[in-house]
This record gives sequence, structure tokens and C-alpha cells, in this order.
Amino acid sequence: MKSMLMKVYILGFAALSIFFMIIIWKVTFAHVIEESHDRQEVLEALQADKEKDEAPVKTTFQKIILDSEQTVKHYLGYKVLEEKRIEGHFHHIGIDIGPDKRSYCVNCHGDMPHDQIKDLRAFLNMHAFFVSCQTCHVKLEGKEKTGEFRWYDRRTGVIIPSPVAFEEPGTYKSKIIPFERVNGQLIRIDSDERISFASEFRQSKDTLSEAQSSKAKKIIHKIVSKQPHLCEDCHNSKDPVLPLDKLGYPKERIDSILSTEVVGLIKNYTQFYMPRMLHPGDKSGQEREQNRKKNLKKNKKPLTITKIN
Amino acid sequence: MKRAGQVFRKNLNFIIVLICVLLFAFASSVFAADIGNCLLCHKYPGISRVDENGDLKLFYVNEDIFNNSVHAKVNCEGCHTDIKKVPHDPAKKVDCLIECHIMEPSTEKKFSHKDADFFLANSVHSKKEKDGNPKKFAEDMPTCKDCHDNPLYRPLSFFKKVRYGVSEASLGRCRVCHKKDEFIYRFYNHVTTRLHKSRNPLNIAEVCARCHNDPEIVARHNLSTKAVYSYGETFHGKAARFLDERIPDCLDCHVRQGESVHQMMSHEDPLSSTYKDNRSNICTNMDCHPSASPKFATYSVHAEFNKTQSPVQYYFTFFFIVLTGGTLLPLMGIIFLDCIRRLFPHAVIKRRK
Amino acid sequence: MEKTPAIKIKNGTRYFYRFTVNQRIQHVILAWSVVTLVLTGMPLKFPDTSWAPYLYSLFGGIHAAPVIHKVFGAILLALFVYHIVYLVYVIYKYQVLPLKQKERLTTGKVLKLIANQPLVPNLKDAKDIRDLMKYLLYMTRKRPDGAKYTWKEKFDYWAPFWGMVIIGLSGLVMWNKELATMIFPGELINFSLIAHSDEALLAALFLFIWHWYNAHFSEAVFPMGTAFITGYLPEALMVEEHYEDYVEIMTKAGLADEILPPHGMHAVASEEGGQA
Repeated sequence: MKSMLMKVYILGFAALSIFFMIIIWKVTFAHVIEESHDRQEVLEALQADKEKDEAPVKTTFQKIILDSEQTVKHYLGYKVLEEKRIEGHFHHIGIDIGPDKRSYCVNCHGDMPHDQIKDLRAFLNMHAFFVSCQTCHVKLEGKEKTGEFRWYDRRTGVIIPSPVAFEEPGTYKSKIIPFERVNGQLIRIDSDERISFASEFRQSKDTLSEAQSSKAKKIIHKIVSKQPHLCEDCHNSKDPVLPLDKLGYPKERIDSILSTEVVGLIKNYTQFYMPRMLHPGDKSGQEREQNRKKNLKKNKKPLTITKIN
Repeated sequence: MKRAGQVFRKNLNFIIVLICVLLFAFASSVFAADIGNCLLCHKYPGISRVDENGDLKLFYVNEDIFNNSVHAKVNCEGCHTDIKKVPHDPAKKVDCLIECHIMEPSTEKKFSHKDADFFLANSVHSKKEKDGNPKKFAEDMPTCKDCHDNPLYRPLSFFKKVRYGVSEASLGRCRVCHKKDEFIYRFYNHVTTRLHKSRNPLNIAEVCARCHNDPEIVARHNLSTKAVYSYGETFHGKAARFLDERIPDCLDCHVRQGESVHQMMSHEDPLSSTYKDNRSNICTNMDCHPSASPKFATYSVHAEFNKTQSPVQYYFTFFFIVLTGGTLLPLMGIIFLDCIRRLFPHAVIKRRK
Repeated sequence: MEKTPAIKIKNGTRYFYRFTVNQRIQHVILAWSVVTLVLTGMPLKFPDTSWAPYLYSLFGGIHAAPVIHKVFGAILLALFVYHIVYLVYVIYKYQVLPLKQKERLTTGKVLKLIANQPLVPNLKDAKDIRDLMKYLLYMTRKRPDGAKYTWKEKFDYWAPFWGMVIIGLSGLVMWNKELATMIFPGELINFSLIAHSDEALLAALFLFIWHWYNAHFSEAVFPMGTAFITGYLPEALMVEEHYEDYVEIMTKAGLADEILPPHGMHAVASEEGGQA
């Protein structure tokens, strides 16, 4: 037994000596190679400059999407403020809410999905930080309609008690999700079944035929209603879609959400900015559809970034 | 009874302290300069979009952090001048050079950052050559926001030498004469933030690194070094990496004493602090190496392990690399062979004669 | 009885005297200061690694660690100077003086004496390395017969010796940079930094891998060699590493008939006997 252990130890040390060799290589000769490689790159870059007045900017996925996520630490002495760095951004962010790991919508549509209605998109994205997609984009009717909404944790996906009373407005690490009634039972609308359907579709997307693919998309989006809930549906004191008091909003927050300030703001929008936008079915709806198609065509152009530095 | 009184007094002290602490916790939100009620919407972190170029636009303003910044006293409208009503059209880019509503007390003129721009335009970072023609790759030259985000207060505490932050003891002295806590708090921050580096040396180096460590920019502008990288190889750079507050950063050497950092000059300019005849003045500064001789400044701060940039140092380092690798790799090989030999102590390859 | 006999028997095992108290104390100071210097120096060489800030703050961070580094650097340099004085004194008193009394001293004789010091590398070391490679590559069963100090120990001695000259001098330059640049150009600091940090890396890796393996972690000594504390080396290790010296000491002590066969030769002897 003892000699067996000793053999294992010796083998382990032999492996360790290989590991040491790699380390020693890295801290010695690897530097020489790296240095000549770097010099080569600079020479090539200069060459490219000479050939073409403006060096071609590399637009790889790595460079644009992955490398652009930077964090910065501000050493203030009495505290260290760590936050995401957005190029050219002046104000500090200071909080990181973290990604929504539950929602199966954001996998395709992203965290900031609203980009069509120019004047509203930032507002809609702001709401999407604490209101799940289904809350507005699914209008439950008849038996399915429950009027039941709860909060779920963005990271774990589990239903949690209302965070509203303990955190600053809009900075909750959770989202509101509607519940539907299936066979007399209350279940959350983002059921595990729907999530696994969507994720299986995403995984096997490349192997599906066009017909299969569009069938899957139809099924995934079946519950989405044609017209989403509009601002006024919640921001009105008579019959708001969301039961704010049940969701844990204290009275003064409810008053603020339904206040003349907010409701007036929305009215202003509907009156001065998009008179017809919030009234579906009329001409503007068709206009919007045309705009959408135009935008789609525009977006088909590959993403080009003119300057990176 | 006496004991009960003591306990009560002790508790009272505690309660007073607690109230003070709470007041301070809330103090920041008391100062809000949000006259236009912009935060009604902009306090939500999610207020954002991805624009047509694929860039993230975030319209969130963290009120607490903003109120601890040097701009705390400026209203939103002070900079975002085009916004007159709520809801508003897409806002224009802020012009940092506008005159804002704040009075500069010594001249009683409206405050503006125009001087910084003037200095910058005459510095090595100018977009134009000395003859007025635009520089090649002028778009690489920095503008305000390439170096600055909203500068945060970094107050000093002289009463407690060990840490930074607002000193309660000195606030007590302020309160003797000044009645408004908001004023005291802001003034304390305003003054003490400027009594030391407004940013930690590492933060300064990181700002310069955004351009000066970018290999493409370094190559495009024929710069001799990835400056922050080579600074990081010196003791100064390493100490900054370990958050030393008193170590010289880029600005300490590249800006003439007492001048604005925006007035940085090329090392070829005789007026520059880094011009070869002026360099020893940097090092022999009273706060740094006062006893050093002028020769001291011939230390090459930005020498890199690079054959073209500093060949002598390259070969000197190369010697040690060969020595280290050449000694250790064979020895590691012997350890490896020794381990394997000990696994089969009696084995031997028999040679036929 | 002599205080430090050449052979000591404890629990039925023979132990061979190798290091004097003076040498052992020198070694402990050396080891202690080198470990401290490496721990306070390496975070500065690799400041971007994940472990560096933690290790550095263990020694008080950027304000205290450099001071500790200089204190232990000074201790090490003092030890180095002491060692040189000790070396000269010992050689002079025990070797040069007796020679002087016997016959007339010439420069050639003194040089010859120095070249014959047990720690000076010689031809036998080259031969031993060749034989070791043969052994490690399974070409022979016989390990080279080590003398009092093997080539490994000479390496262990001269590598830090050279290292201490390089690191010590460059360290002194960087410590007294203002003084040094009164005479030399500022670029001397650049070269000092390179030499100091690169040579230190070599020394640290050499000591912590090679020396520790041979002295502590190798199968023969595992889990820890004790000769650096007790001064005595057990018989098995004497046979394995210093066979030549072992035979000499045993013969001197009149135990010539109890000399063990060379390392790994029991099996060989029996096998060859069987074949014959």
C-alpha cells in the first residue's frame, strides 16, 4: 500500500515537472517569440497604412460584441465603485442588475428589444427591466385570464415575495410575470414546457427545414397577442391591468404611478407626439407596418461600424 | 436609578449618532438638483436603447452617485440645454464648453470649460498641426469624454489620516459658522477632492491606456511605446497597480508643474516637461527624488522589451531569458527522468555485444 | 567522546556528519531571507496576476512590503559578506597555515589548494553528469559515485552565489538610485531592474523546484530531508548520493568490511550471481 502511494506520488511529481516546464517556457522563451510577433504585427499595420490611407477596421464578432464589455473600477478611497463602462457615457451607472436567466424571449430578442417606435423605445425598454415580456404582449382572455401577477428572481427564475418596498424604483433584481389558468390550475405563463420548447428550437435551428422552422416559431409565438397592452392600460386609476397593491407597491408609489404627472406625460405623448399610435386599427397602424418592413430591409445590411477607438 | 439614567444617556447618544448617520445617508438625496423632475423617468436603470449603429444608449442617472460628483450643483438643464419640456425630443449631445449658470466666484463670470478646450487645442493632443492643417488621423485625438466621465468627489480626511472620506470632526468645525449642511458637505468635498489627485494613479493610467496601449493607434501615430504598458513595467507603474496613491502617474511627469493637464506637449517641444533638457526637473522635484543628479533622468521610463525600440535592453533581457530557460528546462528534464527512473529502479536496456 | 563524530549511530542506522553548526545557521538565515524576499518581490514582478494583490497585502501592501524586502535584502547581503570572510578564514587557518608551516608558500601552491576545495567544480562532475544521464536513460543500473559534494550540490551553491552578486549589486543600485546615478547614467537603473527581477526569477524557480526536489521531495528523502537541521545524513542517502565519500569515511573509521554495496546493486549482484 505504502509503495503504491509512493508510486502515485512519483508519477504526480513527474507530471508536476512537466507543468513547471510549461511555466518556465511561458516566463522565458515565450516572451521572445511574443515580442517578435508583436513587432511583426506593427510592421504589418504600418504597411497597411501605407497601402491604404485609412487602415481597414476589423469588424469581427469578438471585437465588436465580446471585447466591448468593459468594467471600470473607480478608487474613491472610502469606497470602490465598480461598473460597466460604456464608451462615451458621462453619467455613472453604479448598479448591475444582472441578466434575466429565466425569460426565453430575451434569448432571441435581447434585453433591450424595443427599437421601432423612436419616441417610446427607451421607455418600453425601461419597463422591460422589471416587467416580463408576457405581461404586455400576452392578453389573456376568458377562462385563462386570472388577473394574477407575481415577481420572479431574474437569476434563479423562482417566484419571490415583492421586492418593491425594499429597493429603489426600477432597480429590482426581479420581474413581474402573469399567471394563467390551465385545467383549473394557476400556473405561470413561462411554464417549463414553453421554455424547453423554445430552447430546443434554438438548439436545433440550423438543422430544421424552413417549414419546420416557421411552424416552431408559430407555436412559440402563439400566445402573443396582436396588439400589446398599452401604457394607459396600466397607468390609469380606474381599471389598471396590473394589481399594483397585490404586487407589493406601497400606496405612495401607486399614487405616483397613477399620478397626473405620469398619466399626463402619457397623454402628452398621445396628443403631441404620436396622436394615433396608441389607437390601433386606424391608418397609423398600416403606416407603422410599412415602416417596420422598411426597417427590416434596412437592418438586413450587415452591421458596419465606422470607427473604433 | 442612577444606572438606568446612564443607560438612557448612553442610548440617547446612540440614538443621536443614529439620527446623524441616517441624516447623512439621506443627505445626498436632499441635495438633488432635479428641478425639472427629470428623474421621474431617468431614475429607472432600464431606460435605454440600442441605436442604429448598434451602440448602447443608456439614459439612466444614478442620483446618489451624481450627487457625489463635482457637477452635483448643476441642474440637468444646465448641460442638456435643448430640453425645455417633458416629454422631450431626442436630446442633443452636450456641449461641454457652454457657459453654465454657475458663477465663478473670483471673476464673477459665468463658468465654462472653454479654457480646457483652448489648452487642449494647443497641446500634443490637438486635432490640428502647428501650421493649422488638420492632423492625419485627427479622429484619434481625444475629446472631453474620451478621458472624463462625471468626476466623482474623492474627499480627504485629515482628522482620520488612515482613510479617505468626509471627516465628521471637521464638519463639526464648519457647522460653527455655516448653517446649511448641504453647503458644508459640498464645500468640504469640493475643496478636499482637489487637495490630492482627483483620480487614483491607476485610474489615470487606465484612461491613457485606452489610446496609448491600443496597438493600432500606437502604430498609426508612430508612437515609440505602448506607454501605459511600459509604465506598468516600472516600479511606479507596479506601485500604481497596487493602488499606491502617492506614486507618480502619467500626468505627474507629462504636465509641467502647476499647469493644466490639458496643456500636455510632445517630448520634442522645448516647452514640454518631458523635453530632454527639462526631464531632470521632473525627477528632482522636492516631493520625489530631490537629491538626484541630472543624470538620474536619463533613466528610460518607457523602455520596452522590444528589439527595435531599445536594442541594448532587449539583448540584456534576452541573455537572462536564455540563462533562465537554458538552466531550468534541462534541470526540469532531469527531475522528470529521475521520477520515471524511480518508478522502475532495476530496469535496464540490455545491449547486445 | 568527540562532540560531532563523523559517524553517529541512532536507532540502528548510521548517520554521517556533513554540516557544522556555523554552516547550518548560515543556511537557515539564507533560506529564511530568500523565502521572504521572493514572497515580497514576486508580486511586483507579476502585478497583474490574481494572487499578487493578496500575497502583497499579506506583507503590508505597497507601503510596507518594499521596506521588508530591503530589510531582508540587507540581511542576505550581510550574510554573504560574512560567508566570504568565513570562507577565507577557514581556508587560511586550517589549510594555508599548516601548509605554510610545512613548506614554503608559493602562489601556485595556494591556487592549487583553492582548486582542490571540495565545492569547486572539476572534471569528475562532468563525468558524473554523463553517468547520471546513462543511469536515467536506463543504459546502466549504476548511479555515479558521488564525492563529498556532488555536482547537484555544487550547482546549488554556485547558482545562488552568482545570483547573490547580481541581485545584490542591482538591488543596491535601485535602493540607492540617486547615489548610483551621481556616477553612472540613469539607464543603469533599467539594467539593474532587468537583472534583479530576471535573475531573481531564475533563483527562485531554481531553489524552489530543483533544490527542494533534491533535498526534500525526491522519493529518497520524502517527506523532508533533515540534514540541514541535524547536520547528519543517513547511510542510505550517503550510499545513493555520495558513495565515493562514503567508502572513504567507512574505511577511515575501520569499518571497511561493513561497507554496503552501491545503490541499486543488491538486485544486480544477486541477478548476476544467478546467471553465473
